[in-house]
Amino acid sequence: MTEPTGGRMTEPTGGRSGPLRMLRLTWHLSGVSLHRLTEYRLDFLLGAGSFVVRLTLQAVVVGIVFLHVPTIGGWHYHQVLFLLGYSFLPRGLDHLFTDQLWEVGRKLVQRGEFYRYLIRPVNPLYLVLSERFCYPDGLGELLTGLVTVSYAASQLGLRLTPVRIAVALPLVVCGALIHTSVKLLFASLSFWTTTSLSAMTAANDIADFARYPMDIYHGPLRWLLTWPLPYAFTSYVPASYLLFGSTRYLWWTPVVTVVALAVSYGVWSAGVARYETTGS
Amino acid sequence: MTAPGTLTAAVRRTRRYLPMATAGLHTLLQYRISLLTGISSAAVSTTVQLFLWRAIYAGAAGGTLGGMTREQMMTYILVSNLLVMLLANRVEDEVAGEIYRGDIAVNLVRPLSYPLLRFFACLPVVGTNAVLAGLPLAALLVSVPGLAGPGPADAVFFLAAAVLSVLIGFAVNFLVGMTGFLTTNTWGIRYVKGSVAAFFSGQVVPISLMPAGLAAVARALPFQSMVSAPVRLFLGQYGDGREACWILGQQAAWVAALLGLCAFLWRRAVGRLEVLGG
Repeated sequence: MTEPTGGRMTEPTGGRSGPLRMLRLTWHLSGVSLHRLTEYRLDFLLGAGSFVVRLTLQAVVVGIVFLHVPTIGGWHYHQVLFLLGYSFLPRGLDHLFTDQLWEVGRKLVQRGEFYRYLIRPVNPLYLVLSERFCYPDGLGELLTGLVTVSYAASQLGLRLTPVRIAVALPLVVCGALIHTSVKLLFASLSFWTTTSLSAMTAANDIADFARYPMDIYHGPLRWLLTWPLPYAFTSYVPASYLLFGSTRYLWWTPVVTVVALAVSYGVWSAGVARYETTGS
Repeated sequence: MTAPGTLTAAVRRTRRYLPMATAGLHTLLQYRISLLTGISSAAVSTTVQLFLWRAIYAGAAGGTLGGMTREQMMTYILVSNLLVMLLANRVEDEVAGEIYRGDIAVNLVRPLSYPLLRFFACLPVVGTNAVLAGLPLAALLVSVPGLAGPGPADAVFFLAAAVLSVLIGFAVNFLVGMTGFLTTNTWGIRYVKGSVAAFFSGQVVPISLMPAGLAAVARALPFQSMVSAPVRLFLGQYGDGREACWILGQQAAWVAALLGLCAFLWRRAVGRLEVLGG
């Protein structure tokens, strides 16, 4: 994110888009967002609350299923619950910082409003994201995820050793970045198709597969969820490590994350360049 | 007025709304892509559920759950997701959007009832979804051996129940859309309604598998009349014709109650509506 897109934005002074400045701005803008929460409390409750309701019901579904069977795909109740709760964490973190991408796919390109991100001396992607830093809906997801994971972990007697925590935190960040990449990729399609909300929704829906152990799916579907749309790395792979110490695929996580980011950022940059040349 | 006179008047009144259905069809053709969204969402959620229940049945002792065999459960999932597509009428988005933008003012100056106008405008959406979801389902039921297709009586009961389900779906979504009078953040409300309706309608887990407390809540809510009731009729999960009629009667009661509530709240809301600007 340190490089201005395609060098098309003229940089008045060197280093204005430096990583430090970005971090400082992110901190500041997140603070502004949190101030907004106190102003629009009902909005916050509706937004965050809607996710709490939805995710709680998903956990209830798992509970109901295990009233009738002891295992699913070899996983026990609290293990599935742990996986489900864990899957909320990267999604929530991603949601907290990149929700504005939905608006790009939905209408910003279509209505020609995107130009305003191009006329300021900051990376356009950063500028887009900054409009919804600390978006409150994500807090509902993170909160429900933390509660579910903690409950499941305590029931499983899962000991969080320092090593596991040291691995778990970057894994959540990687998972969030994978969600961001997919969202960015499909939002960028709008530069060619003017609106890409349906593609974004479809890609987002497919993440629902990651709520359950990959073991229950057929081989081709598992492959799809591991490589082309790498949602497996947002929940199944890290949860398998934390629950069973399984390191299969674990070390692929950073690689997949970097590749996903590079591909989606490349498509985004090409799209931004295209938008500029159409002179909208 | 004589009975035929009333009928003619009703027909004439209905004919005034037919252009709304045509306009709804035009809008739909403009936004073909959003149709695809609905289909892909339905396909993904159906696939997740099919795999999940396949795995669950692999661990189920005796091969039945809540009195349902694996094949019946697969049928249950397919039919319930078909119904969900019929219920995706976009009425809540349209109503909330028009209130939010103030466009509603244009529709209020017309000599038409706005709820009826919305109803006719959503018919093409429902009809298209019915075709798009119904044909693949019919093909699956015929071609996949073991899936539980309905008997002739079941099919008739199911079709009647599906129509009532569509009416309930309209009323619920109209009510949800009207929350636009109270808040601009109707997204959250629509999202909650989606989750709650999916759960308590029996779309995600059949109500017969829920623990007693949750099942009682589900039976007291209108959502089970949208999915669970028609699917039970489809699968023939009723004692006799009288029980089937009782299920349909319950649905009809929900239709009457919810449409009445729509009309009542609509009148109240319009009374206090202000739209700025021109």
